[in-house]
Order: sequence, then structure tokens, then C-alpha cells
Amino acid sequence: MKKLLLGCAGVLLATSVAPVLAHHSPAAFDRTKEVKLVGTVKEFRWQNPHTWIEVLVPDEKGKDVLWGVELTSPTYLIRAGWKSNIIKPGDKVTVVVNPVRSGEPSGIFRSLTLADGRVLTERPARLGTPDSK
Amino acid sequence: MRAVIVVALIGVAAAGCSPGQQSAQQSTATAVAPVPAAIDGGEGKQLSALAPATIARLAKTKAPFDLTGNWFIDVSQNPEAWRFGPPYPTLTSASQVHWDAAKKATAEGKVYRDDIGQCWPAGLPLIMTRYWPMAMVQIPSAIYMVSGFMNSVRIVYLDGRKHTDPDIIVRTYNGESIGRWEGDTLVVDTVGFRGDHHWMDQGGVAIPAGEQLHIVERIRMVSDGKQLEIEYTMTDPEHWEGEWKSTKRFNRVDDEDIQEVSCLPDLNEHIRSTTSKTQVLQ
Repeated sequence: MKKLLLGCAGVLLATSVAPVLAHHSPAAFDRTKEVKLVGTVKEFRWQNPHTWIEVLVPDEKGKDVLWGVELTSPTYLIRAGWKSNIIKPGDKVTVVVNPVRSGEPSGIFRSLTLADGRVLTERPARLGTPDSK
Repeated sequence: MRAVIVVALIGVAAAGCSPGQQSAQQSTATAVAPVPAAIDGGEGKQLSALAPATIARLAKTKAPFDLTGNWFIDVSQNPEAWRFGPPYPTLTSASQVHWDAAKKATAEGKVYRDDIGQCWPAGLPLIMTRYWPMAMVQIPSAIYMVSGFMNSVRIVYLDGRKHTDPDIIVRTYNGESIGRWEGDTLVVDTVGFRGDHHWMDQGGVAIPAGEQLHIVERIRMVSDGKQLEIEYTMTDPEHWEGEWKSTKRFNRVDDEDIQEVSCLPDLNEHIRSTTSKTQVLQ
């Protein structure tokens, strides 16, 4: 796992920490680390309470590792410009996540870069305040 | 004739839900007479809060405010405002063991007993401050709340009923809530909680909520109807000493509606942090 992180999935230092919107405890994630996943979309599920992406990321030997990426709900993604068809299986993407502390190939979403260079993030979960628009 | 009466009563009920009425928010009424005992539904049964006769009886008195709307915890100043502590009360030994275990797990990079993440209901009080809005519909006899989080339902009865006999109450995670007006404040008393898989906090802080949990909420409409303020006073002698107090503000959300949300059987198969080795489930 460690080799994977140092190989095709780059480890970054987080420069900011966004509030976690999840049905589960945020304590599973290491919010001080970022992992950059460069791979291919296996599945994208647009649903409540969470949207999720599964990405196949090749390790240093070229073997695909399936990463799970947890996102907020569509409510906040729509506000950030997402659509349900913005990615599909087979798309080449770059996803940055805060990884789970266990070292398993799973993380919570920070940003998505599409093949055409567009970068998507999430909108803060602050409904009823000006910065939620 | 009977049909006409029914239509008229439904009209009264609908008027109580009207967004148009909520614009007044804080009426000039300063006091509301105590609600008389609920009408007997026959053979000793409680008449439903949705029975047209119940609504018609209570509609004669205007409520000090109508909180019909979507509400979202105000985290603009503090992203941790969804928690009810710190400060936390002095814990009993029954709670301390969980508190210590959660701190130990967190120090080891693990997640302790995150039942909400395993699809158990959040329950009161946490259901009020999830990062999803709470839809509230007020009619003269009750307030119906549906959370945007798992569509959890909470009903606050305003029809003068008493709490259900403890021998027959069906315990739930949101409990049984009964409200009464005190001037411009709605005071809601809630008991009847389930005491398993029910927690007062999440994310590294573990304090159980037990069957003795008793929550009193003092609800006021503030900021010209744009905010709800709820003062929580919570006791549970099994798990902490004295009163645990916390005051929350909720912002009105007029540009979003809640949606259907379920913790589907396959959710956690793909939200893999909930099934990772970091989870301490027992």
C-alpha cells in the first residue's frame, strides 16, 4: 500500500481542511494528507446521502487498484456545477482525496480534474448562508 | 352537507401550513391559553393530531409563530456547531468507559462505535444538526419534521396530550415530543428514547444516550423569522450528571427542498471508510 501511495498515487500535504459532510464519522480520514489518483472511472453513482466514484488506479507494476472516493450529496455538488453525467465509466480523471487512516485504497473527495482540464470541487454545506449559493 | 364540512376543515388545516402565513413569523400575540386536554377519540382513544376536529379546535387560537420551512444548523461561525459540546457534562462511569475508548481509538487512527455510519438512526439530539436541512410543517395540532438526513421523522404534538404510559410506549430514536407555548417560546418536552446504538455525539466523542434521556427544547423565532434559536436542556442520569445545556441557531433555507434519502443496503459497500479496518464496531 505504501508503495502504491509513493508510486502512481502521489501523496500531497493538505493545504486546507474542508468540513466533512458525511453520514458517518469523519474521524476515519486523515485530513492532513492528500492523495492524487490518476486513473480511469469504473463507476460513478449519483445518489443520496452520498455520491461516490470508483477509480481504477494503476500501481507501480501496472496493476489496477480500485479506489473508492466518497463525495457529498448531489445537493451540494449541483451548487458546485456538477451533473449526473459529468463523468462516466472509462473516463480518464485525476481525483484528489484525503485518504482513510488505515492505508486502504479509499478516501474522501477534495477535487476532480476532467480530461479536458476542468476542475470540480464541492460546495460547503452551509445552506441558508450566502456562501452556500 | 357532510362533504362541505370536511372540505372546510381541510381548508383550516391547509391554512395552518400555508407559507403565506409564516411571513408574519412573530405575531403580536404574547400569550396563548393552555391547550385543553385532547378530545377523546372514543373508547378512551386519543384523537389524532390530524383529525379535522382536532385541527379545527386548535385553529381558533393563533400560534405565536409558525416555523414551517426548511432549517439548517448555522455553522457559519463554527463548522463544529453541529456538536452539542464542548462543554460536556461530568460523565458517569457508564459513559466514561465509552468516552475513554473513543479517545483511545481516535489516537490510534480508528473510529469508535460510529452507529450512524452503520445506518442506525442519528436520533435526537443529533438529528437536528446533521449537515442536511430539516423540513418542518406546522399545523395547529402538531409540527411535522422530516430530516434531509435519512428522512428521519419527528413529530411534536401541540394538541394537549400527555406523554404515553411508559409501560406501552414504543421507544424510538427521536422520542416522543410534546410542545406547549409559553409566551413567544415553544417548549418541547421529549422522552421515550431508545437507549441502544444511540449517541450524543459523533466523530471521536462517544457519550451514550439512554432510555432515561429527557430533552427540553425552548424554541424561539429570531432574526425577523430568518433563524430559529433552540435552547437544549438534556438530562440522562445514567450517563451524565445534572443538566447538559447547549443553544443552537438554525438558518431558514428557502432555496432548497429535502429529498428522498435512504441508507441503502449497498451504500456502505461503496462508502468504504465505514467498512475499513479503522472501524471499532463493538
